[in-house]
This record gives sequence, C-alpha cells and structure tokens, in this order.
Amino acid sequence: MRKSISIPLGSQHIALLEPVRFRFETQNETITNVEADVGYVHRGVERACTSHFEFKQVPTVVARVCGLCAITHSLSYTLAVEQIISVEISSRAQYLRTLMVELDRLHSHLLCLAHTAENAGFEALFMQIMGERELIMGLQEQITGNRVQFDFVTIGGVNRDIDSQIAKTILDGLETFEPRLEEIRELFENNWSLSLKYKGVGAISKENAAKLNALGPLARAAGLRTDVRAEQSVLPYSEIGFEMVVAQGGDIYARNHVRLLEMHQSIKMVRNILEALPEGEILSKVRGKPEGEALIRLEAPRGELFYYVKGNKSTTLERMRIKTPTFSGIPAMVEIFKGQEYGDVPAILASFDPCMSCTAK
Amino acid sequence: MLKAIKNAFCNLTKPPLTHAYPAAPIEKPKDYRGLIGYNAQHCIFCDKCEKTCPPGAILFSWALDGSKTYHYNPYLCIYCGDCVRACPKIGEALWQSETKAMPALKVDVPNDGWDKLEKSVEESKLAYKDHKAAQKKAKTTP
Repeated sequence: MRKSISIPLGSQHIALLEPVRFRFETQNETITNVEADVGYVHRGVERACTSHFEFKQVPTVVARVCGLCAITHSLSYTLAVEQIISVEISSRAQYLRTLMVELDRLHSHLLCLAHTAENAGFEALFMQIMGERELIMGLQEQITGNRVQFDFVTIGGVNRDIDSQIAKTILDGLETFEPRLEEIRELFENNWSLSLKYKGVGAISKENAAKLNALGPLARAAGLRTDVRAEQSVLPYSEIGFEMVVAQGGDIYARNHVRLLEMHQSIKMVRNILEALPEGEILSKVRGKPEGEALIRLEAPRGELFYYVKGNKSTTLERMRIKTPTFSGIPAMVEIFKGQEYGDVPAILASFDPCMSCTAK
Repeated sequence: MLKAIKNAFCNLTKPPLTHAYPAAPIEKPKDYRGLIGYNAQHCIFCDKCEKTCPPGAILFSWALDGSKTYHYNPYLCIYCGDCVRACPKIGEALWQSETKAMPALKVDVPNDGWDKLEKSVEESKLAYKDHKAAQKKAKTTP
C-alpha cells in the first residue's frame, strides 16, 4: 500500500497574500486530494449592509470588501439599486465608470502577474511589474483622488468628473506604459526559465473547465468563451470595442497570456473611452427608496461578480448577497491541483489570482 | 531573453523607482481627497453631514438651549466627501481640503476618546429631547 502524506499550506504561508488554508494529500510529492478553507477574513459585510448602513452609504461599504476590485464591487451594487429605483444614468457617467473598471483590471492583472513571477522564483520581475503598476495606480489617484479606496461610483452616477488635462495625463501615462507592458509580455512568453515553471503546469481541460464552472481568465485560458462584458448591456462595452481574449491549453502560461492580452485590450478600450467621452451631467438626482429585487453580473478582473439586492421601501436594505469570482472558482481550482507536484503549488495558486477578502467578505 | 539580460545590466545604473520619502515629500495629485474642513459661522446646523457620513466621523452634540457643536474624527474619516456633497453650503461651511491626515498619536486617544464622545453626544441629544418635552408639559399644564 502506498503511503499518503498530508501537507497543510496556510492559513499563514510565505507564498500567500491573504489567509487561506489548503490541506494537500500527497503521494511521492504528487497531490492526490485537496481540501480548501477560505473563511479566515470574514467581516460580516453583507449583514452590516442590511443592518447598520443606509442603502445610500452601502457603495462605500462594499468598496471595502476588496482593495483590488473596489470599483467593481461598488459599481455592481449601484447598478443593482439603480435597476430597482429606475434612475436614468447619463452616458458620460457610464463611460467614466467603465474607464475606472478597465484601469482597475490593468493594475489587478499586473499584481497577479507579479505574484506569479515571484512564486516561480523570479523576484526581479516581481519588482519590475510592481514598479509599472504604480503608474496605473497614479492615474487612478489622479481621477478619483485616492490610490486604493476610490469612492468614485455613487447611486446616480459618479462623484468626480475628468477634464482635458487629466485625460491627457491618462493618455500620456498609457503611452509610457504600453512599451513596458510589451517588454513584460516578451519576458513571460520567451523566457526559458519561466517557461519551465509555467508551460504544462496547472492545466485544466476545456471540458473540465466547463463542467466545474470555471470563470474569468481561468476559463478563458482553457478556451472557454465566457466573459460577462460580452453578455451585458448596462456598460457601453460594445461601443468601445471590446473583444474577448481566449487562449488554449489552460496552464499557467495560458492564464498569464490571457491576462497580458486583456491588458492590451483594456488599454485600447481606455483610449476609445477618452476619445468618445460623451458630454453631459455626471450625477442624476435619486429619489425614492428601493422596493423590489435586482440581480447584477459584472466582469471583475478575476471573473464574474454577482450581486443580489432586495429592498423593502425603507432606507435599510432587506437582503444583499455577494458572490465573488474566487468563491465560484474553487471547484475548478481544487481539480487543477490534483496530479500536480507539491513544489508547483505556490505558482499555480498565484496564477488563480485568488482574492480571499472578496471570498470571505 | 538577451534583451532581459541587457536590461538587467542597464538597471544597475538607473535611479531607483521608489520615492525618497521621508527625505522628500510624496507628490499629491490635484484635488487630492484629504481632511474635511468646517466653519461654524456659515453652518446652518441641518445635520445632513452627520446623517450621510458612512463611518460616523461627524457628530453634533446638543446643548439644552438648542445650540449644536461640531465634532470631527480625522482618524475615522474615510475622506469619501459624501458630507461635503450633502452640505447645502459647500465650500463655506464644509469643504474637503488637500491636507493629508497625520497618524494618530497616543495623546489623541483616537479610540476610547471618540467612543466616550459618541456616548456623550447620544446623551446630550436625549437630554435635549427630555428638556423640550418637560418645557412643553410645563406650558400645557396650567
């Protein structure tokens, strides 16, 4: 009988950004079974939103669910409430919201790539990518006045407008950033030592990805054509030239490839937004209290983000439910780990881009 | 790969990407979201800022004569600017400055001090209500 050894990873581990616990059953360093526990940073956000805070304050509360996709969280919530109380949002506000979502995707993907590089043992590349990421965060700070917690989206529109000077800064910033991104892409695609850690490691087949409900870059890297941006009509993605990025293979290399190409896409979309930014008010008057329920799906950097909001015509919501991409992706992640070497776990884990504070909320 | 090796050697002579903080101050962008400023002379005491503040960093304590005093906790504030947008006299009574908050020191008693103040504000509101009710009762009963 072969002996099986159980190795815990987490809840605190050098390769982890946030607390999550895995228990790997291994035979000769090969993983045979995985157990995942994600509830280490539970803060009771959903309950707080339905008890302590009024519905107009909730955008700032849900923005604090996650520091990386803060804008997607508050945007999903506001879209849901706007759907319930039927507010007409000006197209300028929707364009500005989309602009921030795409800039957010840029810096979130950069963080993921940096950590994938670091966990594969390439710390110089980690430093380089984090340095480039600062540029995008600087642009976001210019637009919203803060580096991480933007508090930009509000029910009825957005809080701040951009002028031609900021638009120019963004375009100049992207002009500087694009050749650097190209350099990073070349490293990820042609570096021989990185390919040893990435190619064929942590792969998932298209059938398994579909069966286990993979989403976001994880699914698109396996060849599955799934992206909420192509399926929704609230944000003007069809007008700003969105094209879905799909790769084949489903391994770490393919996931990095999808992220790098998506960043090129995002840069293109940001340019299109600034070029075609319509004139108009940025904030519409909001009257009434939410009565009824709404569902909103939005493509966060990690995949589909889902919000359910129910109001009963009072200032406090009756029910709110957040389903985050990392949580929905757990079955696929567990499947990918099976059959892999234990030494590859940190790199595979980083390539999922897991967000625990989102998942545990 | 060759380009990467070349870059690695070039990086040796490049200046660092990091800021020279604290020797040099960090540059703040235009319209940076900083501390909330207040002027009691222009305030009409509508309490809209107090009601709208998500973390509850603005409080008004009530005196028995109906006058109110403004309290602001810069360490609890999230600088979202919702209070300023709710203010009927933006820029005169309430405005968002570009000043960054200083780190809280022990002498400021940032936690316990504010908890105490929250309690006393709550009590002052109740005391004012009771006082008003007693006055009304005294008027109606001959």
